[in-house]
Amino acid sequence: MRRLIWLLVVAAVAIAYPLLLSSPFQQRLGALVLLYAIAASAWNIVGGYAGQVSVGHVVFFGCGAYAAMGSYAKFGLSPLLGIPGGIVLAVGLAAIIGVPTLRLSGHYFSMATIAVAETVRLIVTNTEWLGAAVGLSGPTVPRNIFDLSFLSSLPYYYLFLVVLVITLLITWWMANSRMGFYLRAIKDSERAARSLGAPASRTKLYAYMLSAALTSVAGALYAMMFGFVDPESGLGILISVKILIMAALGGAGLLFGPLVGAAILVPLEEISNSWLGGKGAGLTFVVYGAIIVLIARFQPGGLLSLFTGRSKSKIDTSKTDTSKTDTSKTDTSKTDTGAGHAP
Amino acid sequence: MNFKHVTRLFCAAAMSLALGPGAQAQDKVVKIGVIMPMSGGTASIGAHAKAALEVAMDIINNAHPELGNLPLAKNAGLAGLGGAKIEAVFADNQGNPATGQNQALRLITEEKVAAVFGSYQSGVTLTSSAIAEKYGVPFLNSESVAANLTERGFKWFFRTTPIATDFAKIYVDFLADIKAQGAKTDSVAVVHDNTEYGTSVANTIAGAFKEKGRPIALDVAYPVNATDLQGQVLQLKDKKPDVVIMISYTSDAILFAKTMQSLDYKPAVLLADDAGYSDPSFTKAVGKISQGVFNRSSWVVGPPGSASAIIADMYKKKSGEEMDDTVARQMQGFFVLAEAIDRAGSTDPAKIQAALKATDLKPEQLMIGYKGVKFDDKGQNVLASGAIIQLQDGENYVSVWPKANAEKAPVLPYKGW
Amino acid sequence: MSFVLVQVIVGGLLLGAVYALFSSGLTLVWGMMNIVNFAHGDFVMLGMYVAYVVYTLMGGGPILGAPLATLVLATVGVVVYFALIRDIMKGPMLAQILGTFGLALLLRYSVFWWFGANFLSMPPNIVGGTYAFAGLRIEASRLLAGVVALLVTFGLHLLLTRTSLGSKMLAVAEDQTAAQLMGIRPDTMQAIAWAIAAGATGLAGALIANFFYIVPTVGETLGIVAFVTVSLGGFGSVPGALVAGLLIGVIESLSGYLIGAVYKDIVVYVLFLFFLWFRPQGLMGKM
Repeated sequence: MRRLIWLLVVAAVAIAYPLLLSSPFQQRLGALVLLYAIAASAWNIVGGYAGQVSVGHVVFFGCGAYAAMGSYAKFGLSPLLGIPGGIVLAVGLAAIIGVPTLRLSGHYFSMATIAVAETVRLIVTNTEWLGAAVGLSGPTVPRNIFDLSFLSSLPYYYLFLVVLVITLLITWWMANSRMGFYLRAIKDSERAARSLGAPASRTKLYAYMLSAALTSVAGALYAMMFGFVDPESGLGILISVKILIMAALGGAGLLFGPLVGAAILVPLEEISNSWLGGKGAGLTFVVYGAIIVLIARFQPGGLLSLFTGRSKSKIDTSKTDTSKTDTSKTDTSKTDTGAGHAP
Repeated sequence: MNFKHVTRLFCAAAMSLALGPGAQAQDKVVKIGVIMPMSGGTASIGAHAKAALEVAMDIINNAHPELGNLPLAKNAGLAGLGGAKIEAVFADNQGNPATGQNQALRLITEEKVAAVFGSYQSGVTLTSSAIAEKYGVPFLNSESVAANLTERGFKWFFRTTPIATDFAKIYVDFLADIKAQGAKTDSVAVVHDNTEYGTSVANTIAGAFKEKGRPIALDVAYPVNATDLQGQVLQLKDKKPDVVIMISYTSDAILFAKTMQSLDYKPAVLLADDAGYSDPSFTKAVGKISQGVFNRSSWVVGPPGSASAIIADMYKKKSGEEMDDTVARQMQGFFVLAEAIDRAGSTDPAKIQAALKATDLKPEQLMIGYKGVKFDDKGQNVLASGAIIQLQDGENYVSVWPKANAEKAPVLPYKGW
Repeated sequence: MSFVLVQVIVGGLLLGAVYALFSSGLTLVWGMMNIVNFAHGDFVMLGMYVAYVVYTLMGGGPILGAPLATLVLATVGVVVYFALIRDIMKGPMLAQILGTFGLALLLRYSVFWWFGANFLSMPPNIVGGTYAFAGLRIEASRLLAGVVALLVTFGLHLLLTRTSLGSKMLAVAEDQTAAQLMGIRPDTMQAIAWAIAAGATGLAGALIANFFYIVPTVGETLGIVAFVTVSLGGFGSVPGALVAGLLIGVIESLSGYLIGAVYKDIVVYVLFLFFLWFRPQGLMGKM
């Protein structure tokens, strides 16, 4: 019952926000929060629920962004029509990347995703047809409503809100389905899950593909709002890190964690940049960095874990390090030889 | 009930914050939004621009009769607006097109700026000027070179800087001139990074040389912010082109100079395309081992007592740096914008737009070596031009071409260290 | 032609040795404590700035700058360990990314705030010119960095495998509780590991400063190289970092010379992914 009230309050605030705080910058801030919440929620499916920390998710983001801008710049179509293409591209790419990399554990998986994302960024940077380093632009003067090029941020805000709700519903449905059950088991201990008959590889791959599809939608919406994509802003590794940080800060593996993270970090970043950025002393990032450090130090499970009764100790035990368990055997032998030389 | 009350309060507070100061000060201060990279890899550009625009504001807002023909210098403030002062509101674009657009929106809607100025990186200029276009606020750009910026059919976008086609023409003419003087300039190599600036300028230059019937002999591309440039220098050493045209940002320019010294490579003519080679950090770091490098610049310091020399002095006092071409073009752009606002006699965007369209500045009214400022239908300054300067003593560039306003004759071949 | 290739390979090896040096600190904490340090590149940057300050304030070259940078960074390492790492280590991997990424921004922009964004550089001949023999040309500063890098990585390897301190550190890495029962204090050991790792990184920074430009954001460029080197070499393996560093250095210069520099990073990444497919534990990592 309390949950339901909370949910209604959040929904009411989300719907009323751009009407209450109605200056164009505040509305845009709201739209950006929702946009990053979509991306972070999509990441959450594989990074939070499945515990596979992908740092290369920007590659799917870029699929959507490039598909949307490409459908306008290359074929003169509405950027909206690029969304399905972006999804197909992202899911296909996820399958190609996922099959070999998802069997990697812990940090190796993260590193592999970084390498894939950087490779794709470099290839696009050197591909003339995709605009190379110059990037692709959307319609600057909208031809019709389907170009999604609005002056006000209000239409973007409600469009993003709808997409976010869909994303959260899919996440919720997945978390409560058999797949969610498998994912939690895999996150706790992949070995144990496998031995109990959970189809670990397949489940992880499905989660990865689902996450990729939703991330690509976020990328397409992002490119439509800003009307532009280039390799740095569409495929740069910092975007993945930003998305990941939002999910982690709010609470990875929790339904509303990414939304909370985005609702804190996006305004923090934009407002501190507005206040301090013009001074040119880099103080924006000193403040931003310090806040992230403090949250990581004092609330490592994410801010939302404060309220959801997921105690710190529980998160500690759910820390999975398959790499560590896997290497433990040989590490012991290494220690043994080392100890042999000890006096 | 309580909640609603609080939000209303917040709302009211935010509104008053946004509207309050703007409405009050409107009649005395003209705000110009300035979007620059103030953090990230190109932050030094933003820092230099900030110092330069502060000098420009000093010149406009206070009486500086010593600056002669420079518009707005003589008396304090904008005469056309009853002596109103110019105030630049700085914003950091973080080198990111999205951040640049957000800040443009904030400057236009919250700070109520009369015009927007920026944004260095072509990608950021593209997105931030799109917002200005939608809101119908003039946007003046003084340093982004991407050709497509003025090809979008925008009505509120103006660009004072020369662009790649202008550079290419300068290089072709300059090389033809020194060839006539006996220098060997037959094979030309272009070295550039893979950013939008590097690739687009390199392509334009290659096209211009091809048109003249002497295609580029070697095209060397490298990733920006390289950790190692040995392979590129060895490639050049291998192919021995007579002329090497360098299109690089500061980081790579410094590394190139060091690598060329360590591998003992000196082309006969080393010609740089502004950017990194104009950065005072470059001359400070490796000027001594880059003696004789040619560089494109629209900025040339005149004799002592001239307007440009006084401005260079003021800038050095403010920032501790020598004035370079990028900063000078930005400062000039800011003057052009201020002059148009003054002529418009109003902060009404449409009037400023009309004034910008009617801009017709003569060379003697400028602090920089353009042939004037006059915008075409697309908003591009058709009189933008540049000169060639040379780092003869390893510390300060001197102008060497075109002959008409050259301080010294070009020295060949490239000396290095 | 073949002669140029030799120059390319030698240059790549020297560069690779430096990659190895600044990656060995990363691999140490990564392997020992399972910590992903996103601030690693910024530790290198701090080392470069210490060397620069030593030069501008005292006119000292690498003889004074390198040891001082090592000391300062070792101190920074201990402080960071007790103030941050000790606590986020207990959290999930995400908290580590969060914490160290925040630390990276904090360090980078604190330096930015203090020194400004201008590119700085050491005087060209601070280490002493360029050696030319048999047609090969080698910068003294790169040679110095390469040689020290080899010695230090070798020293680190010996420290870990041949000394009681090393065994104690590995014991803590293996099983904290067991180590504690044996009378080893995990806190002390891990703080020492951080001091060593950060110290080595600072040393690398001071040596790189002699031939590279210095700017607050330089850590971004170098950090990515360190990550790839460590992953290719295997987490926690100092010899792995050395081999991987040399390999990456040579591949970068060769592919930069032969097929064009804009593709050289692609070659490195593809090779890395290829290795992961066959040897998920890296070159020298153990399964």
